[in-house]
Amino acid sequence: MTGRTISDKVIDAHTCDENDTSLYRRVNVDAVLGHDATTALLIDDFERHGLSIWDRDRVLLANDHFSPPATAERADISNRFLSFAREQAVPNLMLDRGICHQLLVEHRLCQAGGLIVGADSHTIMAGGIGACATGMGATDILFTLATGTTWMRRPETIAVRFRGTLPTQSGGRDVVLALLGILGESGGQYRSLEFHDDSGTRLCQDDRFAIANMAVEIGAKFGVFVPDEVTVDYYVKRDGELLGTLVRPDADARYERVIDLDLSALDPRVAKPWSPANVVPLRELEPVRITTAFLGSCASGRLSDLRDAAAELTDRKVHPGVRFVVIPASVEVFKQALRAGYVETLTEAGAIVNHSSCGACGGIDKGVLGADDVCVSSSNRNFRGRMGHWDSRTYLASARTVARAAVRGALTPDLYRDQGDE
Amino acid sequence: MTVIGGRVWLFGDDLNTDVIHPPAFYSLDPDKVRRGLFHGYDPDIQPNIRPGDVVVAGRNFGCGSSRETSIRAIKLNGIGAVIAVDFARIFFRNATNNGLPCLTFADADDLARLRTGQRVRVHPEEATLRTEEDETIPLTPPGEFVRRIWAAGGLLELLPRANAPRP
Ligand code: SF4
Repeated sequence: MTGRTISDKVIDAHTCDENDTSLYRRVNVDAVLGHDATTALLIDDFERHGLSIWDRDRVLLANDHFSPPATAERADISNRFLSFAREQAVPNLMLDRGICHQLLVEHRLCQAGGLIVGADSHTIMAGGIGACATGMGATDILFTLATGTTWMRRPETIAVRFRGTLPTQSGGRDVVLALLGILGESGGQYRSLEFHDDSGTRLCQDDRFAIANMAVEIGAKFGVFVPDEVTVDYYVKRDGELLGTLVRPDADARYERVIDLDLSALDPRVAKPWSPANVVPLRELEPVRITTAFLGSCASGRLSDLRDAAAELTDRKVHPGVRFVVIPASVEVFKQALRAGYVETLTEAGAIVNHSSCGACGGIDKGVLGADDVCVSSSNRNFRGRMGHWDSRTYLASARTVARAAVRGALTPDLYRDQGDE
Repeated sequence: MTVIGGRVWLFGDDLNTDVIHPPAFYSLDPDKVRRGLFHGYDPDIQPNIRPGDVVVAGRNFGCGSSRETSIRAIKLNGIGAVIAVDFARIFFRNATNNGLPCLTFADADDLARLRTGQRVRVHPEEATLRTEEDETIPLTPPGEFVRRIWAAGGLLELLPRANAPRP
């Protein structure tokens, strides 16, 4: 018998029908995630079918897209979502607490070795702490809410091994952008990406979330890190002890492909409009003036991102031609950033720090782009029209690069050369 | 699954759901959702779609967001099927769950034989596409699981009538 990958093991452990020869397996899930915009799409059908939630303790619902709502229509949608959650007596209804994916990894429902589905593509981010998590649409999630099960095809696995030591100016965002440059928007389609961190200093947990988050931009179903001491530290800090199962691949696991990525050579990357896979090293970029900088979204907006941005902005000012919007990924992160003084530093420098929510990432509010806007963003998608006007242009980069560009007023290839590196 | 007949709307690779249906048209109002289809890409497409028309595209159709409003918009405009070189995972599941047939070319090179405005008939069960010139383009037959959802009329028809309420 050939060895199994992480996703093989997690799917096997959750299979609930005997017919294990079929291509699709019926599986039990450990948790379901939903947010206002997608959950609202399933409520009518859920009620029409007279359904109830199979296990309400395993459901986490968050209003992150419309938090707080910017229009009357969205307020109505939000209210519909909130009253559904309250009627179903979902105990984990997170009202205005931040972006659902960040809230999931902050919550005990998300455990290593778990199988989690969510009504949003970036549910995959929980792979950053060793869970097999994947996004689905409203109809699939309705089915899972009612039954606690779904169907899953066994994905092929691509192993990605990180070696070397990441330069201090680069982070998880640069790593995943480099990977997008290699694999493209569909290189991981239907696949599980299994990340093996053999790097010198080990990627920090926030970097891992950034990488797992954007695994879906490569088309992946799972983007899961092999759990190690960084993972264990995270759980122990969060739960006081390790409650989940550290599922690791067999030594002879069968991989469709193995990608070796030497991090020591990895300098900052950017994805140009209008694809997250349109990646170049920043040093090769044609200089471009920016009007907007955005640090936020579930792809980043975590404490280390805010720390990097604050370090860049200490005793500096945001360029007068730039609007710099910062949104911490969750209220928990916001509070930590407040305590650490980052919010004050950013505000002093001229950035706007907004309440935790999706904001401009999905073109929703708090910094939506106009036709002439050119934005550098730490979010995950620069698809045409996503952040606002069809003619607006978004470049994706790390929080540090976003902050440097905000000071410079431009994205330039020398951003890391003449600004005084610490 | 009945035979679908209409005109082709041709698209390229990596057509993501933000382009298929811009976030600004996200709504619970079916009319608003309907009007948003391909709005940024080309606002003239949506008003000219007729029931039974077929979307034809290259690789990785439907990548990006899981918002099912993109499927709703396609269905509300009467698009009968999507034929592509391949599909992004979440989009394919969403479409299948909602009874929108998504089929792939048996030979990806056949994409080059189709153009916008061409009249075609798609036979989902047979997995074929016929052009007005009476050429037959073979599609990949859907698997047993997809056929089961099609036959039921969508994923929700596979639900137990009413699940037992928790005590
Ligand atoms: S922050 Fe952006 S990518 Fe993340 S859930 Fe919100 S809209 Fe989606």
